[in-house]
Amino acid sequence: MSTPSYGSIKDLLVSQNADFWPALKAASGRAACFEDVLALATLKKRAISRLGSPPVEVATPLRVAILGGYSLYPLREIFEQFLFGAGYAAELWIGEYDNYVSEILDETSGIYSFQPEVIFVLPAQRRFFYSGAITDQRTVIEEQIKNDCQQLLSLMRRANQKTHADILLCNFILPAGHDLGAYRNKTLASPWNYVAQINIELGLNAPSFVHICDVNFMSARLGLMVARDRRRWFESKQIGSPTLLVAIAEEAARMVVALRRPMKKVLVLDLDNTLWGGVIGDDGLEGIEIGDTSARGEAFKAFQKYVLSLTERGVLLAVCSKNDHSKAIEPFEKHPEMVIKSNHVVCFKANWQPKSENIRAIAEELNLGLDSFVFVDDNPAEIEIVRQFLPQVSTILLTDDPSDYVSQLEDSRYFEPLSITQEDRIRSNQYIQQARYREIESSTTDMDSYLRSLEMVATISGFMREDVPRISQLINKSNQFNLTSKRRSESEVGSLLTSKAHVTCTIRLSDKFGDHGLISVLIGSIEGEVLYIDTWLMSCRVLKRQVEETALNELVRLATRSGYKKIIGRYIPSAKNGMVKSHYQNLGFATVHEADDGGEYVLEAVGYVPRQTHMSIIRRTNESSTSD
Amino acid sequence: MNQAQVIDRLQKIFDELFLDPVVLTPALTAREVEEWDSLLQISIVVAVEGHFGIRFNMGEVEATQNVGQFADLIVKRIAEKSA
Repeated sequence: MSTPSYGSIKDLLVSQNADFWPALKAASGRAACFEDVLALATLKKRAISRLGSPPVEVATPLRVAILGGYSLYPLREIFEQFLFGAGYAAELWIGEYDNYVSEILDETSGIYSFQPEVIFVLPAQRRFFYSGAITDQRTVIEEQIKNDCQQLLSLMRRANQKTHADILLCNFILPAGHDLGAYRNKTLASPWNYVAQINIELGLNAPSFVHICDVNFMSARLGLMVARDRRRWFESKQIGSPTLLVAIAEEAARMVVALRRPMKKVLVLDLDNTLWGGVIGDDGLEGIEIGDTSARGEAFKAFQKYVLSLTERGVLLAVCSKNDHSKAIEPFEKHPEMVIKSNHVVCFKANWQPKSENIRAIAEELNLGLDSFVFVDDNPAEIEIVRQFLPQVSTILLTDDPSDYVSQLEDSRYFEPLSITQEDRIRSNQYIQQARYREIESSTTDMDSYLRSLEMVATISGFMREDVPRISQLINKSNQFNLTSKRRSESEVGSLLTSKAHVTCTIRLSDKFGDHGLISVLIGSIEGEVLYIDTWLMSCRVLKRQVEETALNELVRLATRSGYKKIIGRYIPSAKNGMVKSHYQNLGFATVHEADDGGEYVLEAVGYVPRQTHMSIIRRTNESSTSD
Repeated sequence: MNQAQVIDRLQKIFDELFLDPVVLTPALTAREVEEWDSLLQISIVVAVEGHFGIRFNMGEVEATQNVGQFADLIVKRIAEKSA
């Protein structure tokens, strides 16, 4: 009835052992069924009353409001438990049963003084039905569907305006009663079609801060007859069966995590029996199974198609194979049935070194953290070596049946985007360009002529509405070139657009090889005559391109224009931002103080001489363009 | 299965769920056990339904006054299942 480790975790608590909290966290992340989660939740309650709150290094505090048209108990316990498993100690604000509309509309409502960072809303499904006649015209029914959705979404807008919180909004379970029979298909007024249409409209019209907690999908995946539970509705106003509660809570917790830790960026692929059947070194180009001539070949081809489709959302493909390079590359260049070609692969490692070493090398070449990597292999020994030596890398061990490969990747849930931006779609190309830069770099003798030869153009602008998704993406995932690592949600970024206490700046870079997109973000906060640099980050793929100098020139320009005399920057060390430790000194700032937990540096804006660059400047905000 | 046998099985379920040992007797009520709150009650009902492969009807668990009556209800459901 409970996880195998439940008893031992309980013993740790009874003996007040320090390992209790980490053990509970690990078990909470793995728990799969209602009984297990609830047992762990009960254990956590007891533990807090005996030991006090869990330590911050086990769980980061997070303020979450839950409200809706159902009893939120025990859902909130399960949700809290999954959040805990993901490393968050939720402080919860719980709405009264079915009071969510007034709780959001009432300005004096407790939810606003609570200041939630996340709001989880479960609207009452019973309010969403067609109130007219079943024979009404389609347009009339569509009108009501639209109104229902608009009302709900404007309620969400209202909640967001007052809190800037991200909102997780549940959609609805399709009503699975047989009633109406096949006639349900003939009218939008049938409960089945009505709810289906509401779900579609909600998703398509949701603003960027509303994230749909897809109860519709989850209940369908479980089976509607398993998901619903009429007894529990009448008895205790539950949204559905215990199994559905667990699915909803787990999904909502996963979304909270995804809002803070974006999806993986790099998919590292094995070759033999992963991308094709057989062993290229033994079977040769004609012997490997790929393509429509056999069932297995078709399955491998389907897998390649799915893998390639991931690049559309910004995932980079790399190859890591134990092979001779010349043999391994052959199918990519010569086999007509290969879907993935060598130009789709940003980094190709085929040699006899341990895979853990190769993956580490790929991470260095791409300048990306290992925690953004997923490694896929059919060989358990290779998976094991990567797990042992590079525990930050997520791994997928493929089964021996290639027909399951696609679903194994799909259900790994590593590559689910919260949003897809234009930048994501072109990112893969940008990394492929990098290889060409390295070529020029080695052929051009000095850095200066290299930079001149790139014909760089920087487009500078304050924060703009349409850039908010990309800006918050950078703010939340840039780790290395990030002076303060300060994270902000999309809503918080949006609120800076109108802030009078802040100065904002974004830089786009393009050059003769193409467009890098929006690659640098700066936020300054103003205190008297001082401009404090709250955020300075940059994508590492444009290191050493004078974007730093360009940014500083812009910052000083903005400061002097508004009469600020000093610019003060801070460096706050993190596990990954060592590369910018001397950033401010390198740019000519004077050190105010420096210690293990960071430093503060000052630059006098008056008398600043703009740094010379090989950058043409275009300004996007109400100002004419100039050129340096 | 009779009341005593069911209570015997219940004891094992309770031992897993409760931190402080609880000795089940037919006369024991939830009010007498500090740990036995509404959250634990849900766990107990779900565990019992799973363990015995039965399902309670609406409201009938709440209607039982003590462990003995709860066990009797389980006995009744098991009997119906095998009937």
